[in-house]
Amino acid sequence: MLPLLVVAVTALQSGPAEAFALVWRPRVAELLRNTVSLVVLTGTLSAVLGVGAAWLVERTALPGAGLWRVAFVAPLAVPAFVNSFAWAALVPGFSGLGGAVLVTTLSYFPFVFLPVAALLRSTDPGLEEAARSLGLGPVRTFLRVGLAQLRPALLGGLLLVALHLLAEFGALEMLRFPTFTTAILDQYEVAFDSRSGSVLALVLMGLAVTVLTLEMLARGRTRHARVGAGSARRPTRARLGALTVPALLATGGLAVLAVGVPAWSIGTWLTRTGEAYEPVVLGPAVRSTLGLALVAALVTTVATFPAAWLLARRRSRFAVLVERVTYLASSLPGVVVALALIALAIGYARPLYQTAPVLVLAYAVLFVPRAMVTTRAAIAAVPPELGDAARALGDGPLRAFARVQLPLMLRGTMAGFALVFIAVSTELTATLLLAPTGTQTLATAFWSASSSLDYAAAAPYAAALVVLSAPLTWLLLRSGREEPAT
Amino acid sequence: MIPRRTLLLATVAGAALGLSGCGSDSLEATGDLDDGKLTIYSAQHKNLTEAWGRAFQDETGIEVQVRYGNDSSMGAQIVQEGQASPADVFLTENSPAMTTVQNAGMLAEVAPATLERVEPRFVPSTKEWTGIAARSTVLVYNPSMISEDELPASIMDLADPRYAGQWSAAAGGADFQAIVSAILQVEGAEQTEAWLKALKSDAKVYQNNIATMKAVNEGQSAMGIIYHYYWYRDQALQKASSGNTALHYFRNEDPGAFVSVSGGGVLRSSAKQDQAQRFLAFVTSPAGQEILRTEDVKEYAVGTGDASDPALPTIASLQPPDIDPFTLEQQKVIDLMTQAGLL
Amino acid sequence: MSDLRLSGISASHPRTPVLHDVDLAVPSGTTTAVLGPSGCGKTTLLRVVGGFMRPDAGEVRLGGDVVAGPGTWVPPERRGLGYVAQEGNLFPHLTVAANITYGLPRRERKDAARVGELLELVGLPGDHGSRRPDQLSGGQQQRVALARALARRPRVVLLDEPFSALDPELRVATRDAVASALAAERATVVLVTHDQAEALSFADQVAIMHEGRITQAGPPAEVYRAPSDRRSAVSLGEACFLAGRTGDGIVTCALGALPVPGTTGTREVELLIRPEQLHLGADGSGGCPARVVRTEFFGHDALVELRLETADGPVLRARTVGPATPAVGSRVAVTVEGRPHLIDR
Repeated sequence: MLPLLVVAVTALQSGPAEAFALVWRPRVAELLRNTVSLVVLTGTLSAVLGVGAAWLVERTALPGAGLWRVAFVAPLAVPAFVNSFAWAALVPGFSGLGGAVLVTTLSYFPFVFLPVAALLRSTDPGLEEAARSLGLGPVRTFLRVGLAQLRPALLGGLLLVALHLLAEFGALEMLRFPTFTTAILDQYEVAFDSRSGSVLALVLMGLAVTVLTLEMLARGRTRHARVGAGSARRPTRARLGALTVPALLATGGLAVLAVGVPAWSIGTWLTRTGEAYEPVVLGPAVRSTLGLALVAALVTTVATFPAAWLLARRRSRFAVLVERVTYLASSLPGVVVALALIALAIGYARPLYQTAPVLVLAYAVLFVPRAMVTTRAAIAAVPPELGDAARALGDGPLRAFARVQLPLMLRGTMAGFALVFIAVSTELTATLLLAPTGTQTLATAFWSASSSLDYAAAAPYAAALVVLSAPLTWLLLRSGREEPAT
Repeated sequence: MIPRRTLLLATVAGAALGLSGCGSDSLEATGDLDDGKLTIYSAQHKNLTEAWGRAFQDETGIEVQVRYGNDSSMGAQIVQEGQASPADVFLTENSPAMTTVQNAGMLAEVAPATLERVEPRFVPSTKEWTGIAARSTVLVYNPSMISEDELPASIMDLADPRYAGQWSAAAGGADFQAIVSAILQVEGAEQTEAWLKALKSDAKVYQNNIATMKAVNEGQSAMGIIYHYYWYRDQALQKASSGNTALHYFRNEDPGAFVSVSGGGVLRSSAKQDQAQRFLAFVTSPAGQEILRTEDVKEYAVGTGDASDPALPTIASLQPPDIDPFTLEQQKVIDLMTQAGLL
Repeated sequence: MSDLRLSGISASHPRTPVLHDVDLAVPSGTTTAVLGPSGCGKTTLLRVVGGFMRPDAGEVRLGGDVVAGPGTWVPPERRGLGYVAQEGNLFPHLTVAANITYGLPRRERKDAARVGELLELVGLPGDHGSRRPDQLSGGQQQRVALARALARRPRVVLLDEPFSALDPELRVATRDAVASALAAERATVVLVTHDQAEALSFADQVAIMHEGRITQAGPPAEVYRAPSDRRSAVSLGEACFLAGRTGDGIVTCALGALPVPGTTGTREVELLIRPEQLHLGADGSGGCPARVVRTEFFGHDALVELRLETADGPVLRARTVGPATPAVGSRVAVTVEGRPHLIDR
């Protein structure tokens, strides 16, 4: 919650008149136009691609479904800014709204694909069969029943896409497509001016809240659970017949664009590292990245635990409030959180300014929800009765926790730890603003090389980032149903 | 599987952190600053700063550590840090950021002997900092897109509608803002604002000088405003980003001929006044200035009688506008750019 | 083993009272079954005894020590109880042996002989100690849970519907194994269940619970024969009720005048007649004529629904031995064996 307040206060410090002047200018309108059109276009495309691909993979007899499933989650292993580097390094002059929509769609459509595919895989086709028996054709069945069933998954995925787009910096800066986040960073870079930066951040925050609200409204109160007992059946797969080849071409094309291009581009530049202007020093960057990620993941996981416990075990109003606030904070772009922490550190904790603890704190604020999802599930999966059983066998509450509950929760908690670890190791925006001077992570080293268009120097960092993110794909594939948090 | 894999990573990371204390070649400070070393806040290029720092260490035995940053944010950072700033020396690429620190009353006077070494035109009247290197504004162009005689005579002419869509600049960077501040001094606020509006509507904005040059090289833009040394450096290497381009110098004291002064100053709050002054003395000494010529830096030397890289046109041949680079101010420029919708 | 005494226990979940003034005494070495439908508060009662929930009022004594009462609270781990829940709640990350020895002091945990003994006690092969809980069937898991509870030689063993999650045949086998293990340990046991057969066959004492109150407690045969009210009667098994009027040593009802020794005075009563008390003779063999309306055949026995051919024709249900079940539509003669139980109206 603190970041929200700090940003608001800084923004309004200058007085309402000046703040108004800073908001009400053509530049803000331009940024708003850019940001909104990007969110709408990429969102729409992601929905179409995500749902289409999920349907082909899960509900049709498309050959190689398992392979496609991996291919459509794999883009998440390539951070969007690395993806945009890959495209820009391949296609000179690749930029603007078109480029931004292309790159962000290819990077983010898996956020839609993943939950929709999981839902399609697990939902009983009974409802659809009922609709067919009531006289609806296959297309109308999909529109009236299928889509309605998919709504929660689709909305959840779109929410992630939108929030990521609002927070995206690297990919868009590289493609010369200014949005609020890139403008805020420019502002900071040029002027170190927290005022106008904060005003922009306030607008950005407003957008994030709007997106969250829209999602909540769209989700509504309707339930889409299956009514009635009886075990669910595995859905049947539609036969594609003559459409098999076009479908294969479509999925293949998407896979080439989303996975092939970045892989090929990074691979090519990797072979040309000799042409780098600046020496590539992977070692220190890897070290600081892993070190920061390790500490941040540890801090985040530990910090998440009590709240997750409260949520899973004693769902009080306070606990729910805590949950909502952390989700809101996480929907804030990294740049807003970073600006707020800079203001706080300079104002109240000068010795901490530009030190690792502040950066770690920013990571924690940003990534608590990621840890929250898995930690909460892990806690919920351990029945409280086991604790009772241990106590009946003579353990005090603490011993019972240490001997029974903690070991059982460890697995899920470690998954949360891994998610945060990966998120931190590929984080760019907050790291750019908060990293202690002299500390280069893989992301910032990549960024400084790629923003000098030193593609050859950037490629090794890009490859390292992809390698670090790769386990994410595996984790997400495995967890199947779980939505990746923002 | 996950926990095990993570634990493995954790072990690797832990081992790596344990090793990170030793073996680093860079002067760059990592983690906590060492109070025993001379601390340099450098917005200058890393290769130049490293070369100076290393040569200084070798000559004096005084150990140096460097924090890197950008002109504007680092200048503002020092002001924010105030008396508690760990910086002993501040190096910039352009003068406005140094002026910001100077106006905050945070710079100590530079030793007279140092200032005497430097050409007078690169020494501010306040004597609170000194020029350490210089760079010239140039127009890089792609001859296949625009012929030499079609090029504008003045940087101000770029605002002419006939150049619409043909030019580009790295408007977000401190380099460009220094150029705008020169335009502001020569042409006044009204002209500058009009010119910035033209930039906003007619020109392409790139991330930085290199991206601008590369865009011209690749034919995405016919002309780009950059500093000279990016071009000369690329020419000295494989010409990958400049092979298709040529340079155009503005003449006749045009604001586009602006020569920007990189500055060095000693922080008043520094406890190592003596060592800090010795560093500035070294940087401006013949040995220090020679590094500008020998290390592929391609920036101009500012020491009296010190030669610059022979690949460059002599500094005397440039015809910069008659402006006082030491009163260039960034805030007004930022306000104008904000008004024009560039920020 | 020691006895357990509850007096005046009241307890509530947030804003919903669950237990009202419950009294119960479980003598040392005996088994008491608390029988009631789900939601009647019987699990809450067990949780209060176990120390997982604080009562609002009343006192829990274990072997004379107050473990819960005004100003006294002993946490569960110091009550020395054994607790076996519906799902067994074995620790999934530990082997069977580690589960069984969980509650023992550290140095005793490695004692393989003790594990073998306990496994044997609950009727499991000794080599099961190295298995993981998910490699066991539900019944085996419950037995391990019992072994785990018994390992610490608890003062009282609490069983919370331990057999309800099991398949019928497994349920009986597990129940027998558990009963004999408990008997061997001479344990004081409280069993909570909604299954009347389980309660009646398992326990020395049955306590009937309804809406948070214990309405009756006593030996199974007595509670079965002479429930205090209609509801208790039904909760223990099939029952027919007939309106009647007492006379001197008899009760007059639709089945005629039945002898009930010891009754005096005239009052309106309800007669409880269990189906197995009704004997069906051949038509005209004496007794009340009735027609068979419906039969439910269970194999070893059958339930026969009869309509008495008297004026208002009440419907009765009789239990017959399987092969002797009369056909639907046939006429039979109904007589009552044994003493009907009278419930005041």
